[in-house]
Amino acid sequence: MTNKRLLHVAAAALLAGLAATAAQAAEPYKIGISAGLTGYAATVDRAWRDGVEVAVATVNARGGVLGRKLEVVVEDNKSEPQEAVTVYRKMMSSDGAKIFISGCVSAGNFAAAPILARAEVPSVLCSILPQQADQAKWMFTTLPPAGFEVLTRLDYLKNKTQIKKIGVLHDPTPYANLQKSVAEKMTSQYGLELVGVEQYKQNDSDLSVQIKKMQAAGAGAILKIGLGGTTLTAAKNIKELGADMLLLTSLEDLEVFKPVAEVLGDKFLFVASPSQVYDALPDSAMKKAIGEFLTPWRAKYGERDPNWASRGWDGVMLTVAAIEKGKSFEGPAVRDAIEGLKDFQGTTGVYAFTPSNHQGITQNSFVLGQIINGQVKVVQ
Amino acid sequence: MLGAVPWVFAAGLVGYALVAGGYMATVVSFALIYAVFVVGLNLFMGFTAQVSFGQNAFAAIGGYSSAVLTTMFGWEPLPAMLTGVCGAVLAALVVGYPTLRLKGHYLAMATLAIGLITYEITVEWQSVTQGYMGISGIPPLGLGKWTVTSDRGQLVVLIAIVALSLFAAARIRASRLGRAFFAVAGSEEAARALGIDVARYKLAAFLLSAGFAALAGSLFVHVVGFVSPEVYGLHMVILSFTMLYVGGIGTVAGPLIGALIVSLLPEAFRGFKDYQDLAYGVALILLLIYAPRGLSTLFRRREARS
Amino acid sequence: MTAAAAAGPAEVLATVGLTARYGSIEALAPTDMHVEDGELVAVLGPNGAGKSTLLRALMGLVTNGGTVRFRGRPLPRRDPVAVAASGVVLVPEGRGIFGPMTVAENLELGAYRLGRDKAEFERRWTRVFDLFPRLKERLGQVAGSMSGGEQQMLAIGRALMADPKVLLLDEPSLGLAPRVTAEILETLHRLNQGGLPVILVEQKAPLALKLAKRAYLLSVGRIVATIDPREITSYDDIAKHYFA
Repeated sequence: MTNKRLLHVAAAALLAGLAATAAQAAEPYKIGISAGLTGYAATVDRAWRDGVEVAVATVNARGGVLGRKLEVVVEDNKSEPQEAVTVYRKMMSSDGAKIFISGCVSAGNFAAAPILARAEVPSVLCSILPQQADQAKWMFTTLPPAGFEVLTRLDYLKNKTQIKKIGVLHDPTPYANLQKSVAEKMTSQYGLELVGVEQYKQNDSDLSVQIKKMQAAGAGAILKIGLGGTTLTAAKNIKELGADMLLLTSLEDLEVFKPVAEVLGDKFLFVASPSQVYDALPDSAMKKAIGEFLTPWRAKYGERDPNWASRGWDGVMLTVAAIEKGKSFEGPAVRDAIEGLKDFQGTTGVYAFTPSNHQGITQNSFVLGQIINGQVKVVQ
Repeated sequence: MLGAVPWVFAAGLVGYALVAGGYMATVVSFALIYAVFVVGLNLFMGFTAQVSFGQNAFAAIGGYSSAVLTTMFGWEPLPAMLTGVCGAVLAALVVGYPTLRLKGHYLAMATLAIGLITYEITVEWQSVTQGYMGISGIPPLGLGKWTVTSDRGQLVVLIAIVALSLFAAARIRASRLGRAFFAVAGSEEAARALGIDVARYKLAAFLLSAGFAALAGSLFVHVVGFVSPEVYGLHMVILSFTMLYVGGIGTVAGPLIGALIVSLLPEAFRGFKDYQDLAYGVALILLLIYAPRGLSTLFRRREARS
Repeated sequence: MTAAAAAGPAEVLATVGLTARYGSIEALAPTDMHVEDGELVAVLGPNGAGKSTLLRALMGLVTNGGTVRFRGRPLPRRDPVAVAASGVVLVPEGRGIFGPMTVAENLELGAYRLGRDKAEFERRWTRVFDLFPRLKERLGQVAGSMSGGEQQMLAIGRALMADPKVLLLDEPSLGLAPRVTAEILETLHRLNQGGLPVILVEQKAPLALKLAKRAYLLSVGRIVATIDPREITSYDDIAKHYFA
């Protein structure tokens, strides 16, 4: 072989290599979503998915990340853990998903956690995190600490009302149980007395027994923890019993609250995330971040509640920030980079992750809202 | 030999999953776990012609025994599984002794209640089951230092367990016990007139089916590493009934064929997105119209006459 | 043994005030009947007279009262398994064969209580094929796919596998062609000639009366007459004598 020929061969090989790299770079970065599109989590998870998709479209419109476009793969886990394991595996091995920005079915995310850890695939979730350290290592959540929703309400009762005795009404979901235990621990520190803790099931059609008990114990306000139609049931029961009580509920789709407000009027208050009361917010870095999300969101979905979608948006933006910071798409690198994210202004607050804290929101941005004459108001 | 067709089909599918690994291995693993469950259901519903809507209760007992004993008390998976199976059989004895004397709808309602009550317990007894939080970090199958963590390893173990379960079912079918089950299924009165203690054999079939259900429930938690109440919800009952009827109730191969087909069908239709459930439903209806006695009986025409 | 002596040396199976009820409805008034060694006794009567109920009460398959005595000893009342174990074997109405199982499996079920005694099993097995050679050709066939006559042969063969001391038959001719019925009754006759006591419930009186040594006439749940077949051979005769 002459030197000249050798040179030709080397040049060809180099070109081929470059072409291959270019092709690789052009290949989209796959984001998987395991979401309960059907089943109990459907409302929340469909909104989460739509938020993720709006974020991905926005990122792609400005050129993607490090020259690569993002691509979303969604699979329905039917709100069940076994289905979740199947769809996680499907998205990993058939679709090549490199990160998951998955919905709120915590049992499904827990069930898949060992596989994700073994495959070193990071995830940014809507749900709470598993307790096993080796599994939680690969998972991050956009969820504010469970206590924030409770403390916002306790703070209001302490500072703005004369009420001294309260009751807690909750469903048996993990997130509701977490909030309940915060209420049990913290009520006394706010100078209040917890006179009743009652449980109900998500499909209960009457809560008057529980409410009556708390009324009899002298509760002036009920902290209701849990999603769905039971909030309206509780409101109706309170009215039927003629109880002089405030109803303060957890975060929820505003659509659910409108009929509740018609029943209880100004005796009904709810925890709201900043994106839900955007128009009433003062100018701030957070309002700017929410605005960036709400512009494309409202363009596509109009007045649809932005709460869960906004956290899905945050999930994508956190991922993008981590990739840009670590300059790598590899699972372990992305994971390490997320752990290093600090002062990241999201739509739900400021995220600051550390190796020991994968729940990035550390400051309470929740407000208390009311619906007066059909208008959403922030309670000052 | 046409009768071998279902077995060749099943072996082909499982073999493919073993080679392909990944997603296919996961789907087939779940199918095999369900196959163990349905083998048990078939003993009670197919061989003995009784109805139980509450087999998920025994799967839950098996699964939660495994989960709690390994994570809270540091047991090895194997003794934990064994304890779960024994616990489920004991529960079946307590429940079955009075209820199996009930007839028709009463028995069906009673078993349905057992399933619902067990579900409630797994939700409410939070100090042990952690409610909807579920229990994670359940160790994989194994013995001492030797554990099975890879997809293919788990699949191999499951194949062995399913093969043993099917072998047991075939042996039972050919045995004195199995013939007594079929006699009870054929005509309780004729069986009694021949001196067969009908109540005793119903109970025996119930206990066996509970044992298989518990084994399946326990396998699930060790394969996935996590358990929560939804795993053993009512959908488990619906799914296992579908598998039993699609595969062929009362046959030996039926539970395996049904479990594989019913697990793989939705995956085949996944590309249909929102119409996945619709396509799956239509496929099931077609199967039940064109193979009303189950897929595994399709290739059996006239073999009995030879 | 005193009871046996009092009941007469030849009595095999007897009822004393045997009753049966379905829920709150009395289906059989207190009934006394018996069958002696080597006897074939017919139970006749129109549809709904309580013939099947009588056999079911004998076996303990329905809620019953009174006493059933087997060779002088009372049998347990509501325990068909124990009744069958003592050697009283029923071929139920509609044959009660196990349709999805093969002929061989059905026959094996007949010998269910035998356990593992191979030699005895072979003896019974051979005897069944002596009486019904056709069953031997059909061993592997699914029982439900056989003709009515063959199914009836199988039902009797299965009962014989239990080695009965008394054989109870509930309408073996039901739905069968006359020629097949004749064939089956001929076999019954041979069995009875071999010393096996038989209680034969039949609606077709002439056929039964040809074989029977004695016949009970049942109407609306009670025995209304005991008949000597030598005197009466047709339903017309019965009607003439008893309902006129």
